[in-house]
Amino acid sequence: MKVAAHLEKIERFEDLRRRLDKVTDFALWFWVLMNSGTNALNAALHSAGITEAVDCYPVQPSVYLEPAYPPGTFKPVMRALGDVIHADRPRIEAELPPDLQRMVKAMEVIESYRDPCIRFGRDATAEVIASCETAYLECLALARKVIGAAGEASHAA
Amino acid sequence: MPPEAHNRMAEQIAASLARCRDSDYEAVIEGAMLAASHWVNLALHVSGATKPENDMVHTYMLTANDLQKYRIVASGMLDALTEIEQIRPLYVRGNVPGGEAAARRARELLDIVRRGAGNARAE
Repeated sequence: MKVAAHLEKIERFEDLRRRLDKVTDFALWFWVLMNSGTNALNAALHSAGITEAVDCYPVQPSVYLEPAYPPGTFKPVMRALGDVIHADRPRIEAELPPDLQRMVKAMEVIESYRDPCIRFGRDATAEVIASCETAYLECLALARKVIGAAGEASHAA
Repeated sequence: MPPEAHNRMAEQIAASLARCRDSDYEAVIEGAMLAASHWVNLALHVSGATKPENDMVHTYMLTANDLQKYRIVASGMLDALTEIEQIRPLYVRGNVPGGEAAARRARELLDIVRRGAGNARAE
């Protein structure tokens, strides 16, 4: 997706995140963090020119749904990296600048709890919640920095 | 995971979804997917189709053999979960118009799965 579309999704996720209880709504709260953080990562990757901002929607690594004809229909295509589905899916082969590396690391912290806590029943302790929240807020802050810098660079050019 | 643990997680997620608005459509679709997955796993475990230590994650990751076996005990639930999963690329990962309607459909599909899980527990 284009950067603006990712930012719009982050705004919706942020609005919901503030309404959810981290403990009683843990599973959905966590999934909101993971989705929002992935949108932030994609927006930053596009802004930095690492991946392409294009209206194609990932189904699995290297397979995207692309608008087809007639309008409103979509077809699966194999294509180069647009949006990633998770920080490590697919793994980004390009060399990443330091801020993007930190974003990927932050998302990997969150992702490390995904299956254990959401699918396989590990307790979501206060430490798990704090770890996820810290990593997510770091990811958002870095995204703002990367996108801001890219915006300034394009104005200067 | 044991069946009752799946039920607890699914109920928690469903309770969270009840607090979501129409505009939270991405989260509703994702939450429906998660809750439905837990209830499908519950049904597969109580029927003996799978063991509690062998949870399904996504229907599209199942082999044809798995699907054939699982559909014997949970075909309606699997169809509903599959449809929820097919909604995700366009409306959760993508920004195709119609997200709120897609989320309403995800809620309907989750109700189908929930009823299936209830029947499985009752048997």
